[in-house]
Amino acid sequence: MRILRSVRHKSCADGTRMKEFLLSDPVTEDFFLFLKNFGSVKCVATVGDGFYTFQKEDCFSIKGLVGDTTVEVRFKPEVADITVDFLYALFHFYRDGNPDIETLKRREAGVEQRVRERLYGT
Amino acid sequence: MPEEDPAELIYLNNAATSWPKPPEVTAAIIASLARPVFGSGRTAGTQGEDYITLAREALVRFFHAGPEEHWVFTHNATDALNILIPGFLAAVEGEGPCHVITTALDHNSVLRPLHERERAGQISLTVVPFENAKVSPDAVRAAIRPVTRLVVMSHGSNVLGSVQDIRAIGELLHEQDIYFIVDGAQTAGHIPIDLGTLPVDAFVFTGHKALCGVPGTGGFYIRDPKRVVPVRFGGTGTDSFSLCQPDEMPDTFEYGTHNYPGAAALAAGIGFLEATGIDAITEKGERQTAYIIAELRQEPNIILYNETPELPIVAFNIEGMANDDVGFVLARAYRVISRTGLHCAPLVHEALTGGKGCVRISLSWFTTDEECRIAAKAIREVAQGAHSSLGQA
Repeated sequence: MRILRSVRHKSCADGTRMKEFLLSDPVTEDFFLFLKNFGSVKCVATVGDGFYTFQKEDCFSIKGLVGDTTVEVRFKPEVADITVDFLYALFHFYRDGNPDIETLKRREAGVEQRVRERLYGT
Repeated sequence: MPEEDPAELIYLNNAATSWPKPPEVTAAIIASLARPVFGSGRTAGTQGEDYITLAREALVRFFHAGPEEHWVFTHNATDALNILIPGFLAAVEGEGPCHVITTALDHNSVLRPLHERERAGQISLTVVPFENAKVSPDAVRAAIRPVTRLVVMSHGSNVLGSVQDIRAIGELLHEQDIYFIVDGAQTAGHIPIDLGTLPVDAFVFTGHKALCGVPGTGGFYIRDPKRVVPVRFGGTGTDSFSLCQPDEMPDTFEYGTHNYPGAAALAAGIGFLEATGIDAITEKGERQTAYIIAELRQEPNIILYNETPELPIVAFNIEGMANDDVGFVLARAYRVISRTGLHCAPLVHEALTGGKGCVRISLSWFTTDEECRIAAKAIREVAQGAHSSLGQA
Protein backbone atom coordinates (compact mmCIF):
# COMPACT_ATOMS: atom_id res chain seq x y z
CA MET A 1 0.00 0.00 0.00
CA ARG A 2 1.59 3.23 -1.19
CA ILE A 3 0.49 6.83 -0.95
CA LEU A 4 -0.17 7.87 -4.53
CA ARG A 5 -1.13 11.42 -3.81
CA SER A 6 -1.87 13.71 -0.89
CA VAL A 7 -4.19 16.66 -1.09
CA ARG A 8 -4.28 19.33 1.56
CA HIS A 9 -7.64 20.56 2.74
CA LYS A 10 -8.37 23.24 5.25
CA SER A 11 -10.00 22.42 8.53
CA CYS A 12 -11.67 25.22 10.42
CA ALA A 13 -12.86 23.17 13.39
CA ASP A 14 -9.86 22.62 15.59
CA GLY A 15 -6.97 24.12 13.70
CA THR A 16 -5.56 20.78 12.64
CA ARG A 17 -4.18 20.46 9.15
CA MET A 18 -6.08 17.88 7.20
CA LYS A 19 -4.78 15.89 4.27
CA GLU A 20 -6.46 13.27 2.19
CA PHE A 21 -4.23 10.42 1.03
CA LEU A 22 -5.05 8.44 -2.07
CA LEU A 23 -3.64 4.95 -1.63
CA SER A 24 -2.53 2.40 -4.18
CA ASP A 25 -4.68 -0.31 -2.59
CA PRO A 26 -7.81 -0.40 -0.45
CA VAL A 27 -7.13 0.09 3.23
CA THR A 28 -7.55 -3.03 5.33
CA GLU A 29 -8.55 -3.87 8.86
CA ASP A 30 -5.08 -5.34 9.24
CA PHE A 31 -3.54 -1.94 8.56
CA PHE A 32 -5.45 -0.36 11.43
CA LEU A 33 -4.58 -3.26 13.71
CA PHE A 34 -0.94 -2.64 12.77
CA LEU A 35 -1.40 1.03 13.73
CA LYS A 36 -2.43 -0.07 17.23
CA ASN A 37 1.28 -0.51 17.88
CA PHE A 38 1.66 3.25 17.79
CA GLY A 39 -1.52 4.70 19.26
CA SER A 40 -5.18 4.08 19.92
CA VAL A 41 -7.58 2.68 17.36
CA LYS A 42 -11.37 2.86 17.49
CA CYS A 43 -13.83 1.17 15.21
CA VAL A 44 -17.46 1.52 14.24
CA ALA A 45 -17.92 -1.94 12.82
CA THR A 46 -21.44 -1.42 11.52
CA VAL A 47 -20.50 1.24 8.97
CA GLY A 48 -19.62 -0.39 5.68
CA ASP A 49 -16.86 -2.91 6.31
CA GLY A 50 -15.73 -0.92 9.32
CA PHE A 51 -14.85 2.68 10.03
CA TYR A 52 -11.57 3.09 11.86
CA THR A 53 -9.89 6.03 13.54
CA PHE A 54 -6.30 5.96 14.69
CA GLN A 55 -5.08 8.58 17.13
CA LYS A 56 -1.45 9.22 17.91
CA GLU A 57 -1.68 11.62 20.77
CA ASP A 58 -0.06 15.02 20.18
CA CYS A 59 0.91 14.02 16.63
CA PHE A 60 -1.73 13.05 14.12
CA SER A 61 -4.81 10.96 13.43
CA ILE A 62 -5.83 8.74 10.54
CA LYS A 63 -9.36 7.76 9.68
CA GLY A 64 -10.69 5.53 6.98
CA LEU A 65 -13.17 2.93 5.88
CA VAL A 66 -12.00 -0.60 5.22
CA GLY A 67 -12.05 -1.18 1.46
CA ASP A 68 -11.66 2.47 0.60
CA THR A 69 -8.60 3.81 -1.20
CA THR A 70 -8.68 7.13 0.62
CA VAL A 71 -7.81 7.97 4.21
CA GLU A 72 -7.98 11.31 5.97
CA VAL A 73 -5.06 12.45 8.08
CA ARG A 74 -5.01 15.34 10.53
CA PHE A 75 -1.77 16.78 11.82
CA LYS A 76 -1.30 18.77 14.99
CA PRO A 77 0.14 21.85 13.32
CA GLU A 78 2.60 22.78 16.07
CA VAL A 79 4.59 19.60 15.49
CA ALA A 80 3.66 18.65 11.94
CA ASP A 81 7.20 19.27 10.74
CA ILE A 82 8.44 16.70 13.25
CA THR A 83 5.77 14.05 12.79
CA VAL A 84 5.11 14.00 9.07
CA ASP A 85 8.04 11.74 8.20
CA PHE A 86 6.92 9.20 10.77
CA LEU A 87 3.42 9.23 9.36
CA TYR A 88 4.73 8.49 5.89
CA ALA A 89 6.92 5.79 7.38
CA LEU A 90 3.87 4.03 8.80
CA PHE A 91 2.46 3.64 5.31
CA HIS A 92 5.83 2.89 3.76
CA PHE A 93 6.82 0.21 6.25
CA TYR A 94 3.41 -1.43 6.26
CA ARG A 95 3.47 -1.88 2.49
CA ASP A 96 2.58 -5.54 2.02
CA GLY A 97 1.39 -6.22 5.53
CA ASN A 98 4.73 -7.41 6.89
CA PRO A 99 6.09 -4.29 8.56
CA ASP A 100 9.34 -3.87 10.45
CA ILE A 101 7.79 -2.80 13.73
CA GLU A 102 11.08 -2.70 15.62
CA THR A 103 12.52 -0.07 13.32
CA LEU A 104 9.32 1.93 13.45
CA LYS A 105 9.30 1.79 17.25
CA ARG A 106 12.80 3.26 17.34
CA ARG A 107 11.74 6.05 15.05
CA GLU A 108 8.60 6.60 17.10
CA ALA A 109 10.63 7.07 20.27
CA GLY A 110 12.72 9.75 18.61
CA VAL A 111 9.70 11.56 17.24
CA GLU A 112 7.87 11.42 20.56
CA GLN A 113 10.88 12.88 22.36
CA ARG A 114 11.07 15.81 19.95
CA VAL A 115 7.32 16.39 20.17
CA ARG A 116 7.46 16.45 23.97
CA GLU A 117 10.31 18.93 23.88
CA ARG A 118 8.42 21.15 21.45
CA LEU A 119 5.05 21.01 23.18
CA TYR A 120 5.97 20.68 26.84
CA GLY A 121 9.64 21.53 27.10
CA THR A 122 10.44 18.14 28.64
CA MET B 1 -7.71 11.40 -7.53
CA PRO B 2 -10.41 9.18 -9.04
CA GLU B 3 -13.31 11.25 -10.29
CA GLU B 4 -16.48 10.91 -8.24
CA ASP B 5 -19.57 10.56 -10.39
CA PRO B 6 -21.59 13.63 -9.37
CA ALA B 7 -24.78 11.76 -10.12
CA GLU B 8 -23.96 9.39 -7.27
CA LEU B 9 -23.45 12.16 -4.73
CA ILE B 10 -26.11 13.43 -2.42
CA TYR B 11 -24.87 16.96 -2.06
CA LEU B 12 -26.15 18.52 1.17
CA ASN B 13 -23.67 21.36 1.60
CA ASN B 14 -25.71 24.01 -0.13
CA ALA B 15 -25.36 26.51 2.72
CA ALA B 16 -21.70 26.70 1.72
CA THR B 17 -22.04 26.62 -2.07
CA SER B 18 -25.12 25.44 -3.88
CA TRP B 19 -24.88 22.59 -6.35
CA PRO B 20 -26.04 21.69 -8.91
CA LYS B 21 -26.68 24.93 -10.73
CA PRO B 22 -29.69 25.39 -12.98
CA PRO B 23 -28.84 24.61 -16.61
CA GLU B 24 -29.70 28.22 -17.43
CA VAL B 25 -26.80 29.36 -15.26
CA THR B 26 -24.26 27.15 -16.99
CA ALA B 27 -25.59 28.26 -20.38
CA ALA B 28 -25.36 31.93 -19.37
CA ILE B 29 -21.71 31.58 -18.35
CA ILE B 30 -20.83 29.93 -21.64
CA ALA B 31 -22.74 32.57 -23.59
CA SER B 32 -21.02 35.36 -21.65
CA LEU B 33 -17.64 34.04 -22.71
CA ALA B 34 -18.61 33.63 -26.34
CA ARG B 35 -18.43 37.36 -27.08
CA PRO B 36 -16.24 40.25 -25.98
CA VAL B 37 -17.24 42.14 -22.87
CA PHE B 38 -19.94 44.68 -23.50
CA GLY B 39 -20.61 47.29 -20.88
CA SER B 40 -20.70 50.96 -20.19
CA GLY B 41 -17.19 52.35 -20.24
CA ARG B 42 -15.69 49.02 -21.21
CA THR B 43 -17.23 48.49 -24.58
CA ALA B 44 -15.43 46.05 -26.81
CA GLY B 45 -18.32 45.37 -29.09
CA THR B 46 -21.82 46.53 -29.82
CA GLN B 47 -23.81 43.37 -30.08
CA GLY B 48 -23.40 41.66 -26.74
CA GLU B 49 -25.34 41.50 -23.54
CA ASP B 50 -24.45 43.92 -20.76
CA TYR B 51 -24.38 41.24 -18.08
CA ILE B 52 -23.60 43.65 -15.28
CA THR B 53 -26.73 45.64 -16.00
CA LEU B 54 -28.74 42.46 -16.45
CA ALA B 55 -27.66 41.28 -13.02
CA ARG B 56 -28.47 44.62 -11.39
CA GLU B 57 -31.91 44.58 -13.00
CA ALA B 58 -32.48 41.07 -11.70
CA LEU B 59 -31.51 42.10 -8.17
CA VAL B 60 -33.87 45.08 -8.25
CA ARG B 61 -36.75 42.85 -9.36
CA PHE B 62 -36.01 40.01 -6.95
CA PHE B 63 -35.50 42.09 -3.83
CA HIS B 64 -37.97 44.85 -4.74
CA ALA B 65 -35.46 47.62 -4.19
CA GLY B 66 -33.90 50.12 -6.54
CA PRO B 67 -32.43 52.04 -8.11
CA GLU B 68 -30.16 49.65 -9.97
CA GLU B 69 -27.04 51.64 -9.22
CA HIS B 70 -27.54 51.10 -5.48
CA TRP B 71 -26.68 47.44 -6.03
CA VAL B 72 -22.93 47.07 -5.76
CA PHE B 73 -20.98 44.04 -6.92
CA THR B 74 -18.16 42.58 -4.86
CA HIS B 75 -16.30 39.30 -4.83
CA ASN B 76 -18.64 37.71 -2.26
CA ALA B 77 -20.53 38.53 0.95
CA THR B 78 -17.38 38.69 3.07
CA ASP B 79 -15.91 41.19 0.64
CA ALA B 80 -19.08 43.26 0.80
CA LEU B 81 -18.93 43.34 4.61
CA ASN B 82 -15.29 44.34 4.42
CA ILE B 83 -16.33 47.35 2.35
CA LEU B 84 -19.43 48.32 4.31
CA ILE B 85 -18.14 47.96 7.87
CA PRO B 86 -14.89 49.96 7.51
CA GLY B 87 -16.64 52.34 5.11
CA PHE B 88 -19.30 53.20 7.67
CA LEU B 89 -16.77 53.45 10.50
CA ALA B 90 -14.60 55.75 8.39
CA ALA B 91 -17.65 57.92 7.69
CA VAL B 92 -18.35 58.44 11.41
CA GLU B 93 -14.71 58.72 12.46
CA GLY B 94 -14.12 61.86 14.47
CA GLU B 95 -17.69 61.98 15.73
CA GLY B 96 -16.82 60.53 19.14
CA PRO B 97 -16.90 57.03 20.59
CA CYS B 98 -18.39 54.35 18.39
CA HIS B 99 -20.20 51.36 19.82
CA VAL B 100 -21.16 48.51 17.50
CA ILE B 101 -23.52 45.61 18.10
CA THR B 102 -23.46 42.20 16.49
CA THR B 103 -24.78 38.80 17.49
CA ALA B 104 -23.48 35.43 18.58
CA LEU B 105 -25.20 33.90 15.56
CA ASP B 106 -22.95 35.72 13.17
CA HIS B 107 -20.35 34.37 10.80
CA ASN B 108 -16.67 35.26 10.91
CA SER B 109 -17.30 37.49 7.89
CA VAL B 110 -18.95 39.84 10.38
CA LEU B 111 -17.19 38.91 13.61
CA ARG B 112 -13.62 39.20 12.39
CA PRO B 113 -13.86 42.64 10.76
CA LEU B 114 -15.52 43.95 13.91
CA HIS B 115 -13.16 42.17 16.29
CA GLU B 116 -10.13 43.56 14.47
CA ARG B 117 -11.48 47.09 14.83
CA GLU B 118 -12.22 46.51 18.48
CA ARG B 119 -8.62 45.31 18.96
CA ALA B 120 -7.40 48.43 17.21
CA GLY B 121 -9.39 50.56 19.65
CA GLN B 122 -11.56 51.97 16.88
CA ILE B 123 -14.85 50.67 18.32
CA SER B 124 -16.36 49.07 21.39
CA LEU B 125 -18.28 45.92 20.57
CA THR B 126 -21.23 44.11 22.10
CA VAL B 127 -22.15 40.60 20.98
CA VAL B 128 -25.82 39.90 21.68
CA PRO B 129 -26.50 36.28 22.64
CA PHE B 130 -29.21 34.15 21.11
CA GLU B 131 -31.89 32.07 22.71
CA ASN B 132 -33.73 29.21 20.99
CA ALA B 133 -31.74 29.97 17.82
CA LYS B 134 -32.98 33.58 17.72
CA VAL B 135 -31.75 37.00 18.66
CA SER B 136 -34.68 38.88 20.10
CA PRO B 137 -35.32 42.52 19.29
CA ASP B 138 -35.49 43.14 23.05
CA ALA B 139 -31.97 41.76 23.46
CA VAL B 140 -30.72 44.12 20.76
CA ARG B 141 -32.57 47.02 22.37
CA ALA B 142 -30.97 46.20 25.72
CA ALA B 143 -27.50 46.34 24.16
CA ILE B 144 -27.95 49.83 22.72
CA ARG B 145 -25.95 52.62 24.32
CA PRO B 146 -26.01 56.34 23.65
CA VAL B 147 -22.91 55.92 21.47
CA THR B 148 -24.18 52.93 19.48
CA ARG B 149 -23.76 53.80 15.83
CA LEU B 150 -23.93 50.49 14.00
CA VAL B 151 -25.55 47.06 14.15
CA VAL B 152 -24.31 44.30 11.87
CA MET B 153 -26.10 40.96 12.00
CA SER B 154 -26.94 37.93 9.96
CA HIS B 155 -30.44 37.52 8.64
CA GLY B 156 -30.25 33.74 8.67
CA SER B 157 -27.97 31.58 10.80
CA ASN B 158 -25.69 29.40 8.70
CA VAL B 159 -25.62 26.82 11.50
CA LEU B 160 -29.10 26.82 12.97
CA GLY B 161 -31.18 27.87 9.97
CA SER B 162 -33.09 30.41 12.03
CA VAL B 163 -34.21 33.70 10.50
CA GLN B 164 -33.96 36.86 12.56
CA ASP B 165 -36.72 39.43 12.80
CA ILE B 166 -34.83 42.16 10.97
CA ARG B 167 -37.98 44.18 10.48
CA ALA B 168 -38.57 44.62 14.22
CA ILE B 169 -34.87 45.10 14.90
CA GLY B 170 -34.49 47.60 12.07
CA GLU B 171 -37.45 49.63 13.26
CA LEU B 172 -36.08 49.99 16.77
CA LEU B 173 -32.63 50.88 15.42
CA HIS B 174 -33.97 53.52 13.09
CA GLU B 175 -35.84 55.14 15.97
CA GLN B 176 -32.38 55.92 17.30
CA ASP B 177 -30.60 56.59 14.00
CA ILE B 178 -28.43 53.50 14.30
CA TYR B 179 -27.07 52.20 11.00
CA PHE B 180 -28.18 48.66 10.19
CA ILE B 181 -26.20 46.26 7.98
CA VAL B 182 -27.81 42.87 7.39
CA ASP B 183 -25.86 39.87 6.14
CA GLY B 184 -28.28 38.03 3.89
CA ALA B 185 -25.84 35.39 2.66
CA GLN B 186 -28.02 32.54 3.92
CA THR B 187 -31.48 33.93 3.24
CA ALA B 188 -31.17 35.48 -0.22
CA GLY B 189 -32.81 33.02 -2.59
CA HIS B 190 -34.38 30.86 0.12
CA ILE B 191 -37.15 33.11 1.45
CA PRO B 192 -39.03 36.16 0.16
CA ILE B 193 -37.14 39.37 1.00
CA ASP B 194 -38.68 42.75 0.29
CA LEU B 195 -35.98 45.36 0.70
CA GLY B 196 -38.45 47.94 -0.48
CA THR B 197 -40.17 47.81 2.89
CA LEU B 198 -37.57 46.31 5.26
CA PRO B 199 -35.89 48.92 7.47
CA VAL B 200 -32.31 47.99 6.65
CA ASP B 201 -29.61 50.40 5.49
CA ALA B 202 -27.44 47.89 3.70
CA PHE B 203 -28.15 44.30 2.72
CA VAL B 204 -25.34 41.92 1.82
CA PHE B 205 -25.79 38.96 -0.52
CA THR B 206 -23.65 36.31 -2.11
CA GLY B 207 -24.18 34.78 -5.52
CA HIS B 208 -22.97 31.24 -4.99
CA LYS B 209 -25.49 29.97 -2.48
CA ALA B 210 -29.29 30.04 -2.92
CA LEU B 211 -29.19 32.65 -5.68
CA CYS B 212 -27.80 29.80 -7.83
CA GLY B 213 -24.82 31.79 -9.11
CA VAL B 214 -21.14 30.94 -8.90
CA PRO B 215 -18.36 31.61 -6.38
CA GLY B 216 -16.71 34.98 -6.79
CA THR B 217 -19.97 36.90 -6.97
CA GLY B 218 -21.78 38.89 -4.34
CA GLY B 219 -22.41 42.40 -3.28
CA PHE B 220 -24.69 44.68 -1.34
CA TYR B 221 -27.66 46.95 -1.62
CA ILE B 222 -27.20 50.33 -0.01
CA ARG B 223 -30.11 52.64 0.62
CA ASP B 224 -28.18 55.87 1.15
CA PRO B 225 -24.67 55.66 -0.30
CA LYS B 226 -23.61 58.85 1.44
CA ARG B 227 -23.59 57.07 4.81
CA VAL B 228 -20.60 54.90 3.79
CA VAL B 229 -17.35 56.11 2.29
CA PRO B 230 -15.33 54.07 -0.18
CA VAL B 231 -12.36 52.28 1.34
CA ARG B 232 -11.06 50.73 -1.85
CA PHE B 233 -10.05 52.63 -4.91
CA GLY B 234 -9.20 51.98 -8.50
CA GLY B 235 -10.20 52.15 -12.10
CA THR B 236 -13.88 52.32 -12.87
CA GLY B 237 -13.84 53.07 -16.58
CA THR B 238 -15.53 56.39 -15.77
CA ASP B 239 -14.30 59.91 -14.94
CA SER B 240 -10.84 58.57 -15.64
CA PHE B 241 -9.02 61.89 -15.72
CA SER B 242 -9.77 62.36 -12.01
CA LEU B 243 -7.38 60.78 -9.51
CA CYS B 244 -10.21 60.61 -6.98
CA GLN B 245 -12.68 57.76 -6.70
CA PRO B 246 -15.91 58.84 -8.44
CA ASP B 247 -18.86 59.88 -6.27
CA GLU B 248 -21.37 58.27 -8.59
CA MET B 249 -22.99 54.99 -7.76
CA PRO B 250 -22.06 52.24 -8.10
CA ASP B 251 -18.59 53.32 -9.25
CA THR B 252 -17.73 54.76 -5.87
CA PHE B 253 -17.71 51.20 -4.44
CA GLU B 254 -16.79 49.21 -7.53
CA TYR B 255 -13.27 49.09 -8.87
CA GLY B 256 -11.47 47.01 -11.44
CA THR B 257 -12.95 44.73 -14.04
CA HIS B 258 -16.27 43.14 -13.17
CA ASN B 259 -16.73 39.40 -13.01
CA TYR B 260 -19.01 39.42 -16.02
CA PRO B 261 -19.38 35.61 -16.37
CA GLY B 262 -20.31 35.68 -12.67
CA ALA B 263 -22.82 38.45 -13.30
CA ALA B 264 -24.29 36.47 -16.19
CA ALA B 265 -24.64 33.49 -13.87
CA LEU B 266 -26.24 35.61 -11.16
CA ALA B 267 -28.77 37.10 -13.55
CA ALA B 268 -29.63 33.64 -14.84
CA GLY B 269 -29.81 32.22 -11.32
CA ILE B 270 -32.21 34.89 -10.19
CA GLY B 271 -34.20 34.39 -13.37
CA PHE B 272 -34.47 30.71 -12.48
CA LEU B 273 -35.70 31.53 -8.97
CA GLU B 274 -38.27 33.94 -10.35
CA ALA B 275 -39.55 31.35 -12.80
CA THR B 276 -39.69 28.70 -10.08
CA GLY B 277 -41.28 30.97 -7.50
CA ILE B 278 -39.73 31.88 -4.17
CA ASP B 279 -42.79 30.67 -2.26
CA ALA B 280 -42.49 27.23 -3.85
CA ILE B 281 -38.78 27.17 -3.00
CA THR B 282 -39.44 28.11 0.61
CA GLU B 283 -42.23 25.57 1.00
CA LYS B 284 -40.19 22.72 -0.45
CA GLY B 285 -37.25 23.48 1.81
CA GLU B 286 -39.45 23.60 4.89
CA ARG B 287 -41.16 20.32 4.03
CA GLN B 288 -37.95 18.42 3.33
CA THR B 289 -36.19 19.84 6.37
CA ALA B 290 -39.10 18.89 8.61
CA TYR B 291 -38.98 15.36 7.21
CA ILE B 292 -35.27 14.96 7.94
CA ILE B 293 -35.65 16.36 11.44
CA ALA B 294 -38.56 14.03 12.16
CA GLU B 295 -36.40 11.10 11.06
CA LEU B 296 -33.37 12.12 13.09
CA ARG B 297 -35.47 12.70 16.19
CA GLN B 298 -36.14 8.98 16.30
CA GLU B 299 -32.55 8.25 17.26
CA PRO B 300 -31.93 8.94 20.94
CA ASN B 301 -28.23 9.65 20.42
CA ILE B 302 -28.73 12.32 17.76
CA ILE B 303 -28.58 15.83 19.18
CA LEU B 304 -30.49 18.34 17.05
CA TYR B 305 -29.58 21.97 17.65
CA ASN B 306 -32.68 23.56 16.13
CA GLU B 307 -35.77 21.48 15.47
CA THR B 308 -37.68 24.31 13.80
CA PRO B 309 -35.33 25.97 11.30
CA GLU B 310 -36.83 28.38 8.79
CA LEU B 311 -34.03 27.68 6.32
CA PRO B 312 -33.26 24.20 4.94
CA ILE B 313 -30.44 23.59 7.38
CA VAL B 314 -30.16 20.78 9.93
CA ALA B 315 -27.40 20.91 12.53
CA PHE B 316 -26.73 17.85 14.62
CA ASN B 317 -24.24 15.68 16.43
CA ILE B 318 -24.16 11.99 17.16
CA GLU B 319 -23.25 11.11 20.70
CA GLY B 320 -20.18 8.94 20.78
CA MET B 321 -18.72 10.15 17.48
CA ALA B 322 -16.75 13.25 16.57
CA ASN B 323 -18.58 15.41 14.06
CA ASP B 324 -15.68 15.13 11.63
CA ASP B 325 -15.93 11.36 11.79
CA VAL B 326 -19.65 11.48 11.08
CA GLY B 327 -19.06 13.69 8.08
CA PHE B 328 -16.30 11.43 6.84
CA VAL B 329 -18.44 8.32 7.13
CA LEU B 330 -21.42 9.98 5.47
CA ALA B 331 -19.24 11.07 2.57
CA ARG B 332 -17.18 7.93 2.09
CA ALA B 333 -19.68 5.21 2.96
CA TYR B 334 -22.93 6.83 1.82
CA ARG B 335 -21.79 9.60 -0.56
CA VAL B 336 -23.75 12.12 1.45
CA ILE B 337 -21.85 15.40 1.45
CA SER B 338 -22.29 17.41 4.64
CA ARG B 339 -20.21 20.10 6.33
CA THR B 340 -18.63 19.51 9.71
CA GLY B 341 -16.81 21.67 12.21
CA LEU B 342 -17.49 25.21 13.27
CA HIS B 343 -18.95 26.55 10.02
CA CYS B 344 -16.99 29.77 10.57
CA ALA B 345 -19.49 30.65 13.30
CA PRO B 346 -17.42 30.20 16.46
CA LEU B 347 -19.80 31.87 18.90
CA VAL B 348 -22.72 29.67 17.91
CA HIS B 349 -20.60 26.64 18.61
CA GLU B 350 -19.17 28.07 21.78
CA ALA B 351 -22.74 28.28 23.05
CA LEU B 352 -24.11 25.02 21.67
CA THR B 353 -21.31 22.50 21.25
CA GLY B 354 -18.61 23.69 23.61
CA GLY B 355 -16.58 24.70 20.58
CA LYS B 356 -16.45 21.18 19.18
CA GLY B 357 -18.64 21.85 16.18
CA CYS B 358 -21.33 19.74 14.60
CA VAL B 359 -22.52 18.22 11.37
CA ARG B 360 -24.59 20.43 9.11
CA ILE B 361 -26.67 19.31 6.18
CA SER B 362 -28.25 21.95 3.98
CA LEU B 363 -30.63 21.50 1.09
CA SER B 364 -31.35 23.32 -2.13
CA TRP B 365 -34.22 23.46 -4.59
CA PHE B 366 -32.54 20.61 -6.44
CA THR B 367 -32.48 18.27 -3.44
CA THR B 368 -34.97 15.50 -4.09
CA ASP B 369 -37.26 13.79 -1.60
CA GLU B 370 -35.47 10.54 -2.33
CA GLU B 371 -32.13 12.13 -1.46
CA CYS B 372 -33.61 13.34 1.82
CA ARG B 373 -34.84 9.83 2.55
CA ILE B 374 -31.47 8.25 1.79
CA ALA B 375 -29.56 10.88 3.76
CA ALA B 376 -31.80 10.56 6.82
CA LYS B 377 -31.52 6.78 6.67
CA ALA B 378 -27.73 7.04 6.41
CA ILE B 379 -27.48 9.37 9.39
CA ARG B 380 -29.72 7.11 11.43
CA GLU B 381 -27.61 4.07 10.53
CA VAL B 382 -24.43 5.84 11.57
CA ALA B 383 -26.08 6.88 14.82
CA GLN B 384 -27.24 3.34 15.52
CA GLY B 385 -23.73 2.06 14.82
CA ALA B 386 -22.14 4.65 17.06
CA HIS B 387 -24.58 3.78 19.80
CA SER B 388 -23.97 0.07 19.69
CA SER B 389 -20.46 -0.62 18.58
CA LEU B 390 -18.06 2.25 19.04
CA GLY B 391 -15.11 0.85 20.81
CA GLN B 392 -11.49 -0.01 20.86
CA ALA B 393 -10.44 -2.13 17.94
